[in-house]
Amino acid sequence: MKNKANKITLLYMLFSILLAVGGYYGLSSLQDNSNATFQNYSLIKDFLFIIISGIIFKVVLTRNDIRNSRIFEKLQTTNEEIKESNERYDIVAKATSDTIWDWKIQEDNFTWNKGIQGVFGYKKEDVGNTSKWWFDRIHPEDSIKMSIKLYSFIEQKTEKWQDEYRFQCADGTYKYVFDRGFLVKDEHGNAIRMIGAIQDVTKQKEEEQRLKLLETVITQTKDAVIITESEKQNKTIPKIVFVNPAFTEMTGYKAAEVIGKTPTVFMGRKSIKNDIAKLSKALKGREEFKFETLNHTKDGEEYWVNFSMIPITNQEGEHSHWISIQRDITEEKKQEKEKEQLIRELTQNNKDLKQFSYITSHNLRAPLSNLTGLLNLMQEIPIENEELKEILNGFSTSTNLLNETINDLVKVIIIKDNPSINKEEVLIKDVFENVFNQLSYLISLHKPILKIELEKVTILNINKAYLESILLNLFTNAIKYRSPKRTLRIYVSSKEVDNHIVLIFRDNGIGIDLERNGDKIFGLYQRFHNYSDSKGLGLYLVKSQVESMGGSIAVESEVDKGTTFTITFKK
Amino acid sequence: MLDLILCVDDDPITLMLCKMVIKKAEFAKELITAQNGEEALNYFDDLKLNNLGNEIQNYPQLIFLDLNMPVMGGWEFLDSFAKDDYRESFKDCKVIVLSSTIDPEDINKAKTYPMVLDFVSKPINKEMLDELKKLW
Repeated sequence: MKNKANKITLLYMLFSILLAVGGYYGLSSLQDNSNATFQNYSLIKDFLFIIISGIIFKVVLTRNDIRNSRIFEKLQTTNEEIKESNERYDIVAKATSDTIWDWKIQEDNFTWNKGIQGVFGYKKEDVGNTSKWWFDRIHPEDSIKMSIKLYSFIEQKTEKWQDEYRFQCADGTYKYVFDRGFLVKDEHGNAIRMIGAIQDVTKQKEEEQRLKLLETVITQTKDAVIITESEKQNKTIPKIVFVNPAFTEMTGYKAAEVIGKTPTVFMGRKSIKNDIAKLSKALKGREEFKFETLNHTKDGEEYWVNFSMIPITNQEGEHSHWISIQRDITEEKKQEKEKEQLIRELTQNNKDLKQFSYITSHNLRAPLSNLTGLLNLMQEIPIENEELKEILNGFSTSTNLLNETINDLVKVIIIKDNPSINKEEVLIKDVFENVFNQLSYLISLHKPILKIELEKVTILNINKAYLESILLNLFTNAIKYRSPKRTLRIYVSSKEVDNHIVLIFRDNGIGIDLERNGDKIFGLYQRFHNYSDSKGLGLYLVKSQVESMGGSIAVESEVDKGTTFTITFKK
Repeated sequence: MLDLILCVDDDPITLMLCKMVIKKAEFAKELITAQNGEEALNYFDDLKLNNLGNEIQNYPQLIFLDLNMPVMGGWEFLDSFAKDDYRESFKDCKVIVLSSTIDPEDINKAKTYPMVLDFVSKPINKEMLDELKKLW
């Protein structure tokens, strides 16, 4: 560049010298030598002028050159800078994973950078180039609020624009985004362009919501939560840094009244008296600790509290805080006390009743046994008077019935009083033999058709006397309530089903109307037929005995068809 | 047939019944009665006093004992009667508890006394006595 200036200067000087020399010789040939001195003088003047102007020329040119090159250099660096900044912008956009948009407002031309593909999953060809495409993808719940803010910014009513809204992805889901933009204005101050950067804040938003939700646990729970700071020296009692609203509700102390103080403010010495040794040990050892105590509210009201302390460590694993949870258990304590009281009363009542029933039965049985004994003696004495004989027979029958009733009741009392009875291995066949021996008179009298199917070795682990009593009751019932229209058939079977032994006892007697009496059939003093010798005790006794051995009994019956009892025992 | 038995019961009807049934069953030649445990103990004390130093020959071989009685019940009597001085003097005297109680605990308790042969439910009857006879 400098050479060029020199070249131009040299060319100008050569040309000027040529012109000056040519002029000199031209003039000297035209004129005579009279003015030679003047001509020489003029030539020298020309040379001088040429040299001076050449120098000036050179200086000006050089200066110009320098300025030009400076401008050029400046342009070049600007270019470089632009290029670099473009690169930087791309890198930054990539690094922050921001999605950049550029909106030429007048033409409504909207362009997106690659983020719209990477972050939101749109294909290049699917991305629209109008602002409508953008607005269409904003969650309906957010769009109104967002557009109000945006237009008031474009109309330059507000200084800054940034907003949070949900933006739809290509797959239809929404992402929480944080969008910030600035305006480019023309010389009249009109907004012509807006450039924005969208940041995907879905994760932060979700985390924020999760934390908010977690926080509600602390703020909404009915348990008082107290956070205390652990002391470095561990010598003093830790100071409270946080309490939740439930704490105030429970203790009556406001957060401001306790923060910065120790829990002794709301927990009296008396309250921790019993646990103080364990408590200070746990505090020193930074161990979890739990205790129950009676505490007082600010107003002096008593309340029972379950207090648990958990040591919390920071990221370095150093113990930093205690989290204490206080649960008001006053109601539970009250209920517990009431329950204990109730149990005590019930136990006493039960004991009294048991005693009462033994005494009553004893006092009933004592004179009754005399009656029975006397009647037994009387049977051997011949009586002449027919009327007296009839009277004594009635007397005897009534006494026997009374005796049976009382004996049954006594059995019930004993069963109810002994929930755990002695069980033994019983061969079911033996029990049947015993029962038939006792029933031989009734069987020979009514001659029922008996069908008995007992699986070969059916051994029950039950009380033998109870099983005998159960079978006796069922057999006598079957005989007592037989149908006069047909021969009595009794079918009995025993078999093993899974882990159970199932006894089935079926007759073709008069049956029971289960629809009317279903819920009463095993009840006490329930009689379903007008038979003078029915006491309403048999089935109640059967059920009691079955259940006292851990079994269950079910009944099926149809009037005038028959009745089936199914008894199930665990093996 | 036993020579001498003692019936202890506060109920005169029961005592009457005992007498009649025992007579009918030809269970014992002689029967004496007491209305409660104290009377029964007094009877045994008298026997000892009357035979000071000598071996008592004629004492009941069997006692039918009721449990619920005023003044001194059957349990209290058994507690005293189980003591050594009575055991030594009346070692062949056995007891049958004859009661209307149904409390299973009573039945179990009765069996803990060595001289108690059995627990029997009232009323006393001939068959029962016939069974008992076989023991003598």
